[in-house]
Amino acid sequence: MSVALILQSLFNVMKKEFSQTLRDRRMLATLIVSPVLQLVVFGYAIDLDVDRIPTVVCDQDRTPASRDLTQAFFADRTFLRRQDVLDPNQAQRALETGEASAALVVPRGFEPRVARADAPEVQVIVDGTDVTLAQVASNAASQFLLLHGIGGEPTGGERVPVAKGPFALPGFSGVAATASLVPRVMYNQRLKSAVYMLPGVLATLLLNVTAIVTAMGLARERETGTLEQILVTPIRPAVLLSGKCLPYILFGLIDVLAILLLGNLIFDVPFRGSLAVVALGSFLYLFSTLGIGILIATLSSSQQQAMLGAFAFMLPAMLLSGFMSPISSMPAWLRPFTLLIPMRHYIEIMRACLLKGAGLRDLAQQLVALTILGTGILGVSVMRFRKRLA
Amino acid sequence: MKSLRRTMAVAHKEVLHIIRDARAVYMALGLPVVMLMLFGYGISQDVGHIPMAVADQDGTPTSRRLSQALVAGGDFVRGLDLASPDDAEAALRAGRVKAVLVIPREFARDLARGVPAAAQLLVDGSDGTTATIALGDAAGILQATSSVRAVRASLSSGPRIRVRFNPTMRSTYNMVSGVIVLILAMVASLLTALTIAREWERGSMEQLFATPVLRSEIIAGKLVPYAGLGFVQTLLVITLGSFMFGVPIRGSLVTLFGCSMLFLLAMLGSGLIASVIAKSQLVAVQFALMMSYMPVAMISGFMFPIANMPRWLQALSMVVPGRYYLTTLRGLLLKGNGLDVLGRDVVALAGFATAFLAIAVWRFRRRLA
Repeated sequence: MSVALILQSLFNVMKKEFSQTLRDRRMLATLIVSPVLQLVVFGYAIDLDVDRIPTVVCDQDRTPASRDLTQAFFADRTFLRRQDVLDPNQAQRALETGEASAALVVPRGFEPRVARADAPEVQVIVDGTDVTLAQVASNAASQFLLLHGIGGEPTGGERVPVAKGPFALPGFSGVAATASLVPRVMYNQRLKSAVYMLPGVLATLLLNVTAIVTAMGLARERETGTLEQILVTPIRPAVLLSGKCLPYILFGLIDVLAILLLGNLIFDVPFRGSLAVVALGSFLYLFSTLGIGILIATLSSSQQQAMLGAFAFMLPAMLLSGFMSPISSMPAWLRPFTLLIPMRHYIEIMRACLLKGAGLRDLAQQLVALTILGTGILGVSVMRFRKRLA
Repeated sequence: MKSLRRTMAVAHKEVLHIIRDARAVYMALGLPVVMLMLFGYGISQDVGHIPMAVADQDGTPTSRRLSQALVAGGDFVRGLDLASPDDAEAALRAGRVKAVLVIPREFARDLARGVPAAAQLLVDGSDGTTATIALGDAAGILQATSSVRAVRASLSSGPRIRVRFNPTMRSTYNMVSGVIVLILAMVASLLTALTIAREWERGSMEQLFATPVLRSEIIAGKLVPYAGLGFVQTLLVITLGSFMFGVPIRGSLVTLFGCSMLFLLAMLGSGLIASVIAKSQLVAVQFALMMSYMPVAMISGFMFPIANMPRWLQALSMVVPGRYYLTTLRGLLLKGNGLDVLGRDVVALAGFATAFLAIAVWRFRRRLA
């Protein structure tokens, strides 16, 4: 077959795939509208910066001193005064029902002890069922109590993050001068969650749109037998597959563009790198996700199996990609496996490109990894696809 | 009586479908186990091994002690040494390290003279989780070893801040309850999403309509086998969660399974709605994902605190059944709450289950007209 003929048949397959997709309004909604909509709606949910923790106050002392203390406790808006109770048991109950996530208990005799410069007994109780919230709450509380000369640290909470400012240097506690460690956060100064979560959300949505849709689409063609019909025509299997895949790469790239644009407009996600690197990375990533979709399709005999198979890949991939929890905190034996996951490299590329303004040279390693994974997966899946049909 | 028999006939047919596709059953049951293992063992918000570069321009015993304190006391791993702070930016940008400690010249001399001296810790904020924890760790390490301890010791002893229900703040407990919700939501809604769409796609729906089976009986018959499958799954994940990860079950088992069943029905119902609305299995799966999986993952309070969301999103989360199930699950597992506390959430779950199933039947009917 001549090159012109191959191109012609490729074009024909693509045209068929396009018109089939565009005709079904729901399919189009699935491919373009729903990823963008999901990003916008759920993007607002991505906020790990805990504040306004609902708090119940039990002030048994009821003196000016205790009132000052409780007011100061709510001054920086980390805690939100939800209700006031008199009985500590009621405070406990508020925690149990989830009405409040923290309780501040000021016992009787607070003022006299302050007057005597005796360490007063103030208690903060934190609901530990939500760990993110508990860590922030107990840390803020311990800083507050320390500041007010009450002291104390959370029992059992070994690690209480988030504290900025001067630190005294070990071994110099007796010396009047202190050394301070000035922390500076680069690239995402306010540590806004949406900014560093967006690449992960984008990678997930793309994986969903491309891998699941191709896997199920091909499985459906097998179920209905249309694939065999096309194969009796002179079109080669490889041409058929690429004709089917190219439209989805296009849809995927449209999604990337729309999501980056909206992310920038709505959530202030910066775009510091070059568009070319983003486009190259996205293209390579879509290559690998489509390959995964085809591979799953060749392994399954029904759409149900294809769907479950796609999820069986997608969920672990999502967890191991460093999207939600850092790869460095995974156990050592698990970390090498994350290198096999295209999402990991794509997320690294996008984070570096959008936030750090990294260029081609900084990201060479990830781009090469994506290229190898993409061609490898796609190659294996095309081979399997041809064998199944032969 | 006749109606029951017809329902059971549809259920029987569906069971045959499920059994014949044994691979799908294995996957449906294997997926939750894999997820739970990964979440429990692999994924942890307790960050460690943060690669850190050190640019020590001072090069004195004092400055070395500072960098050693960070490595020894916390979760930093000394990745590489930089000759000049100018290389810090490049190392961070290429992602070779997540933090850079810069100790300026004359650091030790200033300290000895009694002049305040400052070292700088640069943290990569593009990975926010690591960054937050790196900052906190650095603070904690230096604070713990310094004068703060002296202040604390002078105060009377006894804990002032108590973390209840999960005193060590183990993220596993948190994760496992969230994962149970996520797994049930996903598998339940996805499996039913396929069932009715499949009949439409293959044209066997018309055949079903030629029989005296009513629409509501079709829905009920499709529901029964998947509810059974879902129940096995619930049993599996809760048992695994409590045995493998030591998640306590402090509340009553009956309430636990009752609530799980209600949640399951709600999710099966939403899958059926997706199946009835969509024309094809492919679109039904995407609908189900958007209607059940994503809301549970994003706005049920599993990963992101609800209190932080904008008000309209908080309102939207009120119609996500996963939110109520998560509350009951955490209440039952960790707090040992009873129905007196959880009553509201249980009623909400029951309401969603009824409403979703009713909508599925209603929409199903409309499409036939």
